[in-house]
Amino acid sequence: MNATPLTQGGNAYNFGFLDEYAKKEVRRAVLKAIAIPGYQVPYASREMPMGRGFGTGGLQLTLALIGPDEVMKVIDQGSDDSVNAVNLRQFIEMTCPGVSTTTKTTGCTLIQSRHRIPELPLTAQQIIVLQVPYPDPLVVVEPSEDKRKTMHGEADYSRLLVKLYEDIVKFDEITISHRYPTRINGHYVIDPSPIPRWDVPKLDDSAALILFGAGREKKIYAVPPHTRAEPLAFSDVPFRVEDFRDGAGQRRACARCGSVDSFLDEFVADSGSKTYQCSDSDWCDGVEASA
Amino acid sequence: MQTESIWRADVQQRVFRELVEAFSRPGEVRDLTRWIDGATAQRAVLATLMDGEATLTDPHEQIAAADWPLLQARRGTPESARYIAAVGHRVPDFQPAMGSLESPEFGATLLIEVAAVGNGALSMDLDGPGVSGRRELRLDGLHPDWLARRMDWVSGFPLGVDLLLFDAKRIVALPRTTRVAITAGAV
Repeated sequence: MNATPLTQGGNAYNFGFLDEYAKKEVRRAVLKAIAIPGYQVPYASREMPMGRGFGTGGLQLTLALIGPDEVMKVIDQGSDDSVNAVNLRQFIEMTCPGVSTTTKTTGCTLIQSRHRIPELPLTAQQIIVLQVPYPDPLVVVEPSEDKRKTMHGEADYSRLLVKLYEDIVKFDEITISHRYPTRINGHYVIDPSPIPRWDVPKLDDSAALILFGAGREKKIYAVPPHTRAEPLAFSDVPFRVEDFRDGAGQRRACARCGSVDSFLDEFVADSGSKTYQCSDSDWCDGVEASA
Repeated sequence: MQTESIWRADVQQRVFRELVEAFSRPGEVRDLTRWIDGATAQRAVLATLMDGEATLTDPHEQIAAADWPLLQARRGTPESARYIAAVGHRVPDFQPAMGSLESPEFGATLLIEVAAVGNGALSMDLDGPGVSGRRELRLDGLHPDWLARRMDWVSGFPLGVDLLLFDAKRIVALPRTTRVAITAGAV
């Protein structure tokens, strides 16, 4: 064995669950992903003790990165308390003794997230891992992976732009609500995972390293810090984030904390009335506490 | 039997995180001293990245015979291996794999040992992904031909090679996306 695990009293699992060979495979892919921003590096994705589609790609990245002094945050759709986030957090606590977990965005060193980037700007001391269901933005226009790989290599995204154009012809607007195709460092276009449009500008010139893991599709890709990330758009139809203004043009506020500068989830009450609340629960708690 | 620390999983995790930082922030010098005891940075990095799935080549014969069985890496040629260990003061005398348009990750990672990382007569300005504005990097003991050859190797993105430079304890990365402008010290 060229990576001797530390024996742990009472815990039959290796630190981080994965065996050291699996970690090395992920680690080599991560370094290449960082060196080729936006390129989907194939890797030997392992079976995890949860279904594909429940964040196994993100989890393998987390477990290859994590060390005993980590402060870990797990989010699912902005919330630390939804089922998927709680499950993953408990799994990490069980298999990584010594790791501390938190729900606070400040102070954590590693974040695994499903479908949101925290509202609070991340720092250079943090790494965020996003869980990706479908890594390839070209899959909507080209079924063959061989051909997609060539298109990516040549940075040929004309058919994707045609798709966006057809949206504009039909709806006067690009209708992609999430997974918005985003060009990294002027070459590769990535699927930034199902984050809302609201989060796409956070990819650009980020202080933190952003990693993407697709377990079922066996791909890892990255947006390094301080890298250009441009959502695909046209000069006369610019990219727009979600519009949270009501009929009167007033920006809707979170019903709980009153924040007017966060991404809002819409809740429909039994009566049919709608209320809006922050999607990022840590942000909401923070604003409420300081009010 | 006491295992040397670089072969321990917990130390390799630390070294890997330093590698992540190095590749994420080209030109930023990372010091491995506190993690690797008496070992050299190059051995620590090799121990962290190698296993039976990796191909490694050692054209300048830097790797001790006793390390090969532990590294478990398959031996390749400089033209085909995914990882190449090399000595920086020698002239590069091989053509590394640069990957293909479809699979640029097959471009080699060059692990180059130099006299000093972070100080020295060779000075360069870096920019590109991972660099906010510009970053200065100083090196000692890198033959200038490496940077000239690198310019060729990385001219056709996404193809290219990724460099990791070492002295005894410090590492710095120059991934294929980093633009290098030599400001002083090249002969």
